[in-house]
Amino acid sequence: MRRSLATLLVALAICAGMNLFLAQFIEEYVVQVINMVGVSIILAVSLNVINGLTGQFSLGHAGFMAIGAYVSAFFTTDLSYFNPDTAEYVTDPALVSSVWGYLGALIAGGVAAAVAGVLVGIPTLRLKGDYLAIATLGFGEIVRILITNFEKVGGANGLSGVPQFQIVLSGEGKDALALDGTFFIFSFVIICVLLSAQLQRSTFGRALIAVRENELAAEVMGIPTVRMKIFAFVYGAFFAGIAGGLFAHLLQTVTPASFTFMKSVEVVVMLVLGGLGSMTGAIVGAIVLTVLPEALRDVEQEADLPGIRMVVYSLVLILLMIFRPQGIFGQRELSLRLLRRLVPGRRISGDETPKPSEDRKGTEL
Amino acid sequence: MRNALTLLIALAAVTFVVLAGCKDQGNEAGSGGVTEDSVKLGLFVSTTGAIADFGLATKNGADIAVSEINAAGGINGKQVELVFYDIASKPEEAKSAATKLATQDKVLVGMGAVASSLSLTAAPTFQTNGVPMVSPSSTFPPVTEKGDLIFRICFTDEFAGAALAQFAFEDLGKRKAAIIMNQDDPYSTGLANYFKARFEQLGGKVETTEKFANNTSDFNTQVDNVKSATPDIVFAPVYYNDITLIGQQLRGKGVTVPILGSDGWESPTLLKNAAKDLEGCYFGNHYSQNDPDEMVQGFIKTYADKHGDKPSSLAALGYDVVYFVKNAVDKAGTFDRAKVAGAMRNTKDLKGVTGTYTIDNKRNASKPITMLKITGGKVEMVRQIMPEEVK
Repeated sequence: MRRSLATLLVALAICAGMNLFLAQFIEEYVVQVINMVGVSIILAVSLNVINGLTGQFSLGHAGFMAIGAYVSAFFTTDLSYFNPDTAEYVTDPALVSSVWGYLGALIAGGVAAAVAGVLVGIPTLRLKGDYLAIATLGFGEIVRILITNFEKVGGANGLSGVPQFQIVLSGEGKDALALDGTFFIFSFVIICVLLSAQLQRSTFGRALIAVRENELAAEVMGIPTVRMKIFAFVYGAFFAGIAGGLFAHLLQTVTPASFTFMKSVEVVVMLVLGGLGSMTGAIVGAIVLTVLPEALRDVEQEADLPGIRMVVYSLVLILLMIFRPQGIFGQRELSLRLLRRLVPGRRISGDETPKPSEDRKGTEL
Repeated sequence: MRNALTLLIALAAVTFVVLAGCKDQGNEAGSGGVTEDSVKLGLFVSTTGAIADFGLATKNGADIAVSEINAAGGINGKQVELVFYDIASKPEEAKSAATKLATQDKVLVGMGAVASSLSLTAAPTFQTNGVPMVSPSSTFPPVTEKGDLIFRICFTDEFAGAALAQFAFEDLGKRKAAIIMNQDDPYSTGLANYFKARFEQLGGKVETTEKFANNTSDFNTQVDNVKSATPDIVFAPVYYNDITLIGQQLRGKGVTVPILGSDGWESPTLLKNAAKDLEGCYFGNHYSQNDPDEMVQGFIKTYADKHGDKPSSLAALGYDVVYFVKNAVDKAGTFDRAKVAGAMRNTKDLKGVTGTYTIDNKRNASKPITMLKITGGKVEMVRQIMPEEVK
């Protein structure tokens, strides 16, 4: 336990350092793309727990993301909505305005999405394969349509003027040394990745994989399969909600149009591209698919062919699926041990894996 | 545990290398996008995704304006270089394209987007970086409230909705309206809201507001409800593909009252598919292709020569937005962004293809809406409603 906490603290410090480094030396546009990559990583890694580990094909991630985005923005934003009686836009001031309030709003978004995960999971997780995919797709669409008809959060126009938060370390104004979106996003990336990595290697994670490999056999082994599936669903939904909140505050606008089922498909494509079931794959898939359209901007600009970007993007996907149908990583993970094997003759002293006895002591505390 | 952490750091490092680009510390103050012999203007619209047609038309219009300006010696002696990015109808792309234009390409002015939600996403980025942004065709009122550098050269939904209501009430003498709108589309809901407010303020009554979702093709429910409300006019602020079906189904059920629409109706295919059903109907638009004005006809001819069909309103607005920027730079006499924005704020009676307009104190264009009537299989101009008529 203490060990995990220390790791987390080190990780947060690295995030802070990265944030300051980026803000200081790297172009704002590149930082923007890196931030989007962070949001995509959370989405992909969390969906990997549902689709990859547990083998439940969900197409509802955009729905959970939408819930997180709207719930968190609901707390932090001055709500401006149309009053049909006076034909004017009315504004309600934001409920929270501090960084802690922002974190609370993000968590609230995640929790709301998780609750939705339970509500959707209980009836739909009896379904399998294609049926589950369609049921979750339906869920995503229902969320979007409900939001569209909810005038208080802007209806079809969505919310604009979502604030960006920062922790000022020193200085003031534009030159201030401050932790901003990058810090928040990558802190959650690290939390999500570390938790998911732990989960994957725990007994619990093995149970999830057992459900994926053979549900009947898992049941016979005494694994409560339905509860496992619901757990995976709720876990994925929570982080999708967090990603939604971060997304909203990064873009400073939320519109229902951001959360169509195409968004869910995009996340699924990240997984498939990286290798379904591999967390490293999910991360690489998220990076590639977020950076690629941006990297192709200059190509499009040079060629002066509007739309060529999406053609190249699609071609890359098609070629990859032809030549590597299992995805970049398959179900493998990239780890230090693998790297060590790749670099012959070099040995790292000290045991990398924690001793089992140590770990057990930790959990008992 | 440590593996995962190292992995993360490694990945972060890879990302850095892939994206490596060093921040340009020497940020030249104020004047933007200027090199020795050219000036960069940014354009960001969706040329892929759900509303690609509108973005392509806008880009085509802007391209024509740029080549005309360059042939005539450029802006303030410098050739115009149009930096164009597709934003794929997605807010995240609008944000990154805006950031790229404002901070990497350092354009003088950003022009875009078409959809209001995308303009709303891009606006704060331009505002905080001190780069003026001009939307050619985002009609949702809050867009220009994002800061004192955000402009638009089209009318707002507020004006269009009120003008259309007034046209129905006063010009056509209608008292009982029914509305059919697309609930997923902010443009449609915005116009419907403002129409209703104005129409009822004038003393008319909106009997029913019927909503439908994107990609609806069966409008029977809505049509039945409209029919039982017995209106004397139907207001349908929807796109051309929807009005084709709505018109057909309304007429099929025996609802023969005129339908009033908005600029979303405009399309080369409208008359081909729905001339009979929409006979005697009206819609408000940014300009009329039949306007005998020399500038309008000149633009239409150039566009048709190049692209084969007549330019839509979006194309005309794309053309006008470039000239709006040129006018501001000419007036300011410098490429200093703050001064250019100042000149934009003081734009008065600038003549464009889409009418003569003045920028008001909310940085919106105050300009006429052109009322068109479908009659005898043709679109004819009825009149222009001037901004001062609508209070």
